[in-house]
Amino acid sequence: MLLREGLASLLTGAGFEVVARCGDASALLQAVAALAPDVAVVDIRMPPTHTDEGLRAAMKIRRDFSRTAVLVLSQHVEPALAMTLFADSAAGAGYLLKDRVSDVAEFVSCLRRVAAGGTAVDPVIVSSLVSRARADDPLAALTPREREVLALMASGHSNQGIADRLVLTLRAVEKYVSSIFGKLDLPATGGESRRVLAVLLFLRR
Amino acid sequence: MFAGGGPAYSAGIDRQTLSRRTRLVALASAGVAAATMSIALALPGGRVGQAVLFVWISLSYVSCGLLAWRRHPAFGRLMVVVGLGAALSTLAWSPVPLLFTVGQALDLVVVVLFLHVFLAFPAGRLSGPARLLVGIGYAVSIGLQLVTMGLGGFGPGNLLRVVDAPRAADAVHTAELVALSVLLLAGVAVLGVRRAGSRPARWLVDAFTLGLVALAVLLVMGVLSAPGFAVVQAVTLGVLGLAPVAFLAGLLEARLARASLGELMVALRAEPDDLSPALARALRDPTARLLYWLPQYLCWVGSDGVPASLGESATLIRRDGEPVAAIVHHPSDDALLDAVVAAVEMVLDNGRLRAELRAGLAEVRGSRARVAEAGRRERRRLERDLHDGAQQRLVGLSLRLGLLETRLDGDPDARQAVVEARAEVATSLAELRDLSRGLYPAVLSAHGLAVAVESVPAPVPIRLICEVPGRLPEAIEVAAYYVVCESLTNVGRHAGASSAAVSLRLAGDRLLVEISDDGTGGADPDRGSGLRGLADRVETLGGTLRVRSPAGGGTRVRAELPCG
Repeated sequence: MLLREGLASLLTGAGFEVVARCGDASALLQAVAALAPDVAVVDIRMPPTHTDEGLRAAMKIRRDFSRTAVLVLSQHVEPALAMTLFADSAAGAGYLLKDRVSDVAEFVSCLRRVAAGGTAVDPVIVSSLVSRARADDPLAALTPREREVLALMASGHSNQGIADRLVLTLRAVEKYVSSIFGKLDLPATGGESRRVLAVLLFLRR
Repeated sequence: MFAGGGPAYSAGIDRQTLSRRTRLVALASAGVAAATMSIALALPGGRVGQAVLFVWISLSYVSCGLLAWRRHPAFGRLMVVVGLGAALSTLAWSPVPLLFTVGQALDLVVVVLFLHVFLAFPAGRLSGPARLLVGIGYAVSIGLQLVTMGLGGFGPGNLLRVVDAPRAADAVHTAELVALSVLLLAGVAVLGVRRAGSRPARWLVDAFTLGLVALAVLLVMGVLSAPGFAVVQAVTLGVLGLAPVAFLAGLLEARLARASLGELMVALRAEPDDLSPALARALRDPTARLLYWLPQYLCWVGSDGVPASLGESATLIRRDGEPVAAIVHHPSDDALLDAVVAAVEMVLDNGRLRAELRAGLAEVRGSRARVAEAGRRERRRLERDLHDGAQQRLVGLSLRLGLLETRLDGDPDARQAVVEARAEVATSLAELRDLSRGLYPAVLSAHGLAVAVESVPAPVPIRLICEVPGRLPEAIEVAAYYVVCESLTNVGRHAGASSAAVSLRLAGDRLLVEISDDGTGGADPDRGSGLRGLADRVETLGGTLRVRSPAGGGTRVRAELPCG
């Protein structure tokens, strides 16, 4: 409740129009069906059982109301649950740690990205995936800079977003990306959200 | 030399052997003589067929009685008496009044003798209702027979006639026959009640008790002067004459059982953990079981300490009036049981102590599991409270601080203070997150082991293999999860490792959890480090936890959890 109200005032302040505030999954689904918002921010644990109602509601929204993007907030980092959310596509979906709301600018930028059909993956999930042990680790072939770019790609950032963060030119980022895809033997696919999913799947296998 | 220097007691043995042989010869001769007499008596009256049946009965009972005499004197004697009694009753066929009178007086005593011998098998003694039945039988068969004869029944040769009242005599005789047939049927009922069920020879004897039913029918037919009397009589006497063979078989069986008592003694001396199999063998009753009474739990338990019920038929073993143990068995009236009880009593205490120990252990295990379960529930509740309470508030607080920060663009000092406060809150949130994760992994209950284990924070790169399809009991999942968490925490703290591997897989009905690292090894499960607590947690669920940690050789923690 407390968080919901705070979030509503944060978003209003950032120029969003908050069309509904819901206490549980069924109220959420009704509101999404009725109001067709651009994006829904969903806590993964909701009444009544406080286990995974939020996640299930988010999946349902993605399946039945594809017009509405979904950003899932969680108290804990659960790579497997994030991957469940992105199972079919990472477009218009995000999975962030709840704490991220305190960095207002970053949070708002993530939410805008998701609402616009992009992806937001919590950096902690990305780093836990990157740090996995692998036989003949293909990531070992990457330069430190390429690893940074890879992590940002996996978080859902666009090439421009990566360029802004790392203070690089767009062309330089594009070079890094194609080098990474070559080294990891990933097909250079079109859309950015497909790129996110490909990278995440690669990191998780 | 051998004949001259014999021991002093040899004379005693000789005398015993001699008397036994004399008795054997004398009684055998008596039997043969009685049989011969029967035939001699039967010839003039043309009763050869009947005589053959009586000879068959006499010789069968006398010879089998003599065979049984040595081992079972009481029962052997009884069989000989039945045989001779049957022969003597044929005196009734004699034309000589005195012999006729004696034979007639004994005529129906033979019927009660049959009842007696069936009821007395195998002990040779009667007890309880059987004793009463047979007593009444003798009184009726002698008393009413004499009254009938006194009233002038059975014709002119009857020396006991006092008055001549044929109608009264008939009435009394009819009453006598009916009373005897009722007694016979009551005897069959007594046998039915105490049948042991499990022993083949008993069954054989039971089958021959049908002879008693036939005898009762025969008596009633005599009253009604029904046709076919001769045929039924022939069948009945034929069957009754076969019964001694069944008796012998039954006695042999009892002897075998007594031999198994010897085996029981040998088995008991080895103090087996569970006395029941030896008991079952000795009693020839596969369902026989020894139970112990544990007064502190107010229940009967088996040797495994598991509570059991006494069932319908049990023999209690008491000490100072209090029950200490019981042998549960098929209904049986065997003297063998007394011997088995005596044998068991000698070794009872150790077995009882062991059973008590096991029952206590089961109790402790049960309460340990209950305590663990209560702890798990409590942790779950706490995690939920934290999530909905403190964590939510802190997130709300950090959000407000974030909003505040955006409004303080013009005041760098204040803004810096807010940034620091926000960092503090972020740290608190991270700590709380670790704490609540340690309390109870909420993701487990909704998504299972594979999902939960994947998000365990890893201090070093990890190779994770989780081959656990579907869900396991919650307690097992939680324990496996903690094994992984705690072991990985140890890897981060102590192992100095550069990588680790976690594997979870099902092997039959057990879950195998293995965490290995390439660190320095030398972990000691007994010296803190959380491994002891982990082992407790696993053992509470009936699992095992092993730690192999040679110095310089990495550490391998392996837990096996039953999940069937």
